[in-house]
Amino acid sequence: MDGATLLKKIIISTPTAKIYRRLGFKKATSQLTPKTKNETEAHIEAAVSLISLRGSFLRLKTSDNDGQLIKFFSGVNFSSKKLSRFLRGCPEAVLLGATAGSEIMEAIKEKTAQGDLQAAVVYDATASEIADAALDWIMDYINQLIRREGKTLLPRRFSAGYADFDLSNQKTIYELLNLDKLGVRITEAYMLLPEKSVTAISGICG
Amino acid sequence: MNKEKITNLWKKKIVILDGATGTELQKKSMPAGVCPELWCLENPKILESIHASYAQAGAQIVYTCTFGANRFKLKQYGSQDKVEAINKNLARLARKACGPNTLIAGDIGPSGLFVEPFGDLPFEEAIEAFKEQARALIAGGCDLIVIETMIDIQEARAALIAVKELKNIFTIVSLTYEEDGRTLGGTDPLSALITLQSLGADAVGCNCSTGPEKMADIIASLKPYAKVPLIAKPNAGIPRLEGIKTVFDMEAKEFAAACRGLAAAGANMLGGCCGTTSEHIRLLSGFAAKIKPKPPRVKSLAALSSARKFLLLEENKPLIIVGERINPTGKKALQQELLEEKTSLIRQMALDQEKQGADLLDVNVGQPGIDEVKTIKKVTTLLSAVSPLPLVVDSSRVETIEAALRLYPGRMMINSISGEKEKLARLLPLAAKYGAMFILLPLTAGNIPQTAKKRQAVIQNIYSQSRKFGFTKDDFVVDGLVMAVASDAQAARETLATVRWCHDSFKCKTILGVSNVSFGMPGRPWLNATFLAMAHYCGLTMAIANPAAAELMNVKKAADALGAKDNAAKYFIRHFSAETAPAPPQSGQPQSVAEKIATAIKDGDTEKITGLIKEALSAGMDPFELVNKTMIPAIVSVGDLYEKKIYFLPQLMAAAQTMEKGMDYIEPLLKKNAAQSKGKIILATVQGDVHDIGKNIVGLLMKNYGYEVVDLGKDVSAQFIVNAALKEKPDIIGLSALMTTTMVNMKEVISLARDRGIKTDFLIGGAVVTQAYAQSIGAHYAADGVQAVKTADKLIKK
Repeated sequence: MDGATLLKKIIISTPTAKIYRRLGFKKATSQLTPKTKNETEAHIEAAVSLISLRGSFLRLKTSDNDGQLIKFFSGVNFSSKKLSRFLRGCPEAVLLGATAGSEIMEAIKEKTAQGDLQAAVVYDATASEIADAALDWIMDYINQLIRREGKTLLPRRFSAGYADFDLSNQKTIYELLNLDKLGVRITEAYMLLPEKSVTAISGICG
Repeated sequence: MNKEKITNLWKKKIVILDGATGTELQKKSMPAGVCPELWCLENPKILESIHASYAQAGAQIVYTCTFGANRFKLKQYGSQDKVEAINKNLARLARKACGPNTLIAGDIGPSGLFVEPFGDLPFEEAIEAFKEQARALIAGGCDLIVIETMIDIQEARAALIAVKELKNIFTIVSLTYEEDGRTLGGTDPLSALITLQSLGADAVGCNCSTGPEKMADIIASLKPYAKVPLIAKPNAGIPRLEGIKTVFDMEAKEFAAACRGLAAAGANMLGGCCGTTSEHIRLLSGFAAKIKPKPPRVKSLAALSSARKFLLLEENKPLIIVGERINPTGKKALQQELLEEKTSLIRQMALDQEKQGADLLDVNVGQPGIDEVKTIKKVTTLLSAVSPLPLVVDSSRVETIEAALRLYPGRMMINSISGEKEKLARLLPLAAKYGAMFILLPLTAGNIPQTAKKRQAVIQNIYSQSRKFGFTKDDFVVDGLVMAVASDAQAARETLATVRWCHDSFKCKTILGVSNVSFGMPGRPWLNATFLAMAHYCGLTMAIANPAAAELMNVKKAADALGAKDNAAKYFIRHFSAETAPAPPQSGQPQSVAEKIATAIKDGDTEKITGLIKEALSAGMDPFELVNKTMIPAIVSVGDLYEKKIYFLPQLMAAAQTMEKGMDYIEPLLKKNAAQSKGKIILATVQGDVHDIGKNIVGLLMKNYGYEVVDLGKDVSAQFIVNAALKEKPDIIGLSALMTTTMVNMKEVISLARDRGIKTDFLIGGAVVTQAYAQSIGAHYAADGVQAVKTADKLIKK
């Protein structure tokens, strides 16, 4: 099995509606003044210009899934009943990772220090949603690659720290995805730095 | 088979292409995980039967099974050194299976890598790899080449350039679009069409991803702008999972019926992608034979594109602004940046000009002491990713222009091609090869024609030369040559006469570098803006200008509206309505200053708050009363609005910041009046957790509501928090955590605090924290900042 595929420049459309939702905007009730709307749009735009979206993915062939432990031919194992159920019947799994980069995190820190939390919360929501959208993008990309093989990705994904899939697995995923090459670090508590970095696992079926 | 013969085919009827190969091979026992190309060579009869079935079903063009036969994909199977043999043999196998009457298209698919400027694969390396594959396919006897299922416009360009540099062979380029109507690389269909047809693709279209109905919308959107035939090869519906099996739902009959929509939309070549079979193609072929094809509607197209945006140069549309700022002439900071091989200023200039209303970006990196070719490549790469605006490459050096044209993932404009013989001889072929538009500069060697009449002669001469390379009047814009009125009072009139003649008589588009007119004069903004208005009236298409120049941009908007180039003055009204928007209507009586302060807090108006407080205090208001009766009720009402979901988080934060700014001003006065804080709160994000935005929000709101806040930061150990509590003696300790793994550290903090005899209430929150968890560790819970304040108020009153 080859190493992880690194995607050093991911360009996506800004998920504006999702950013607004993350900020608590409700279509039915929220009342935005033109001023707030303009300021929010400007902050989103500024945040987007500070985000450098990169990603990585790795296909792993399943050798066994006994409902408790998933084993891969590469020698990697994941122990989790919920993940086993999620990947049941999938001959392959795919690990995914994405990061929004460090510049945006520096900007959030700076805005917070300046007392501009209005900008900081919008930057934060933008970076979170864009990092998440990058995983969607990678999944779409993998679907393109595997469609010719008559295969499809599961529409959902699973992350370390969900249910009984221990967060310590983040370390294995981090290493397999070579996230260090994208400027991402992992702490002893398995946190990814810069903060707006995410990983997940999905299944390939068909 | 030459190109003319294929052209005759699509002119007479809809050309039928084959259906899926990959999904058919899987049905015929190709195991998962193998290299399809190698497996087919080991099992030739199976592939032959698939090819033959399509030919028998009526496909006039059958694709070779070489989708993944490039060196990068084959490397995954250790066969990267067999590119030539694999492609040649599979091309021959297709020919053998289909016979001499079916056209064989050499199939080139994606490399599986991302090409610069969007990825790591060097553009020239991508071209080389595709050349290697195309050379073998041509040697194997292919009649045409198809570059398909591309998700990256730059990779499609690399493959197309590779083929064109090898042989003048009919080449189809087909991209794959997602549900949002763009490729995964973010390119929309029209931008792709503009880029690819100008670069020499003989047919352009789409395949895979969607079924025929959705694809018909794409084809219909392209038809008015397509100079070339359009191709559509949809899947048999949208693939979906049935358990863990991928299925395509659309039966042959339904597929063929749905393809009628594609023919009606203007597709000239039709086939099937994933999930389609020979039966799908047989029925498709049956109905298509009875349909008259729709030929391309245009022979030429004045349009530019980037990887994410296109610009149509149409009559009766607003004047186009080419942002002129990325040019080191007279800009010391930019000169220095280029010398230091940096690009941050260029990036900022691009973003600023886009915001200020530029439609295109002129890019000039001409600077002594730098490698201009290397620099233009770097800047082109940067701008391709940073800005969606198409670029105008501006250089006096042919090599610089060529480097940019080759690398840029769109259709560029060259600034400029003049009548100088040597330049003309070198630049026209380049513009033709890369399909660029160009600015026609009516100059001859060392000679600036002074009058409009003399300029007309040069324009006609350059146009006549360009026609030999296939250019039409849609492929260039004439520079009217702007000279300074300070040195020649007639200069502006001659320029305007040139613009007028181009528009009214010669029927071509025009451009002016407007600001030259005012060189050496005072009041330059007014001269520039007035000159622009006059040129606009003469029919000017575009202007190279600084979009930050307010006078010029406002006059442009006004001239667009008055010249009926801004439909219903839409842009004009939008711009000036926003600029002169009246203050929101006030209900009833005029507001008192206290009411104005409350409104400023509710509206998050940080600019007005201090002035209003000063006004209130000068009018004799008591600061303590102002805080308690006006400001705190205002921020409380903001909290209510947030809880009712009428305000969202940025509004809450704006109000909180305004309150904080007001409090910062008024606080020293309160102390004199013995104002007291409601209580002291220590805040910390627990050890192991670096997510602190939620804690910061709580901190700001607590301060707003009159609490003294001691913020210990993030990733704070239990020991540190407890020590701080012993020292500060807070009324409440607030803890936050985002993750389930770090949330458990809250319990550790509380246990340690209790062990050390601290009886203070704990208030906890964070994305994964729940009321139940809080109870289980003996803490109070708040779901958000507003609730945190309310809970704190209750705890303090206890």
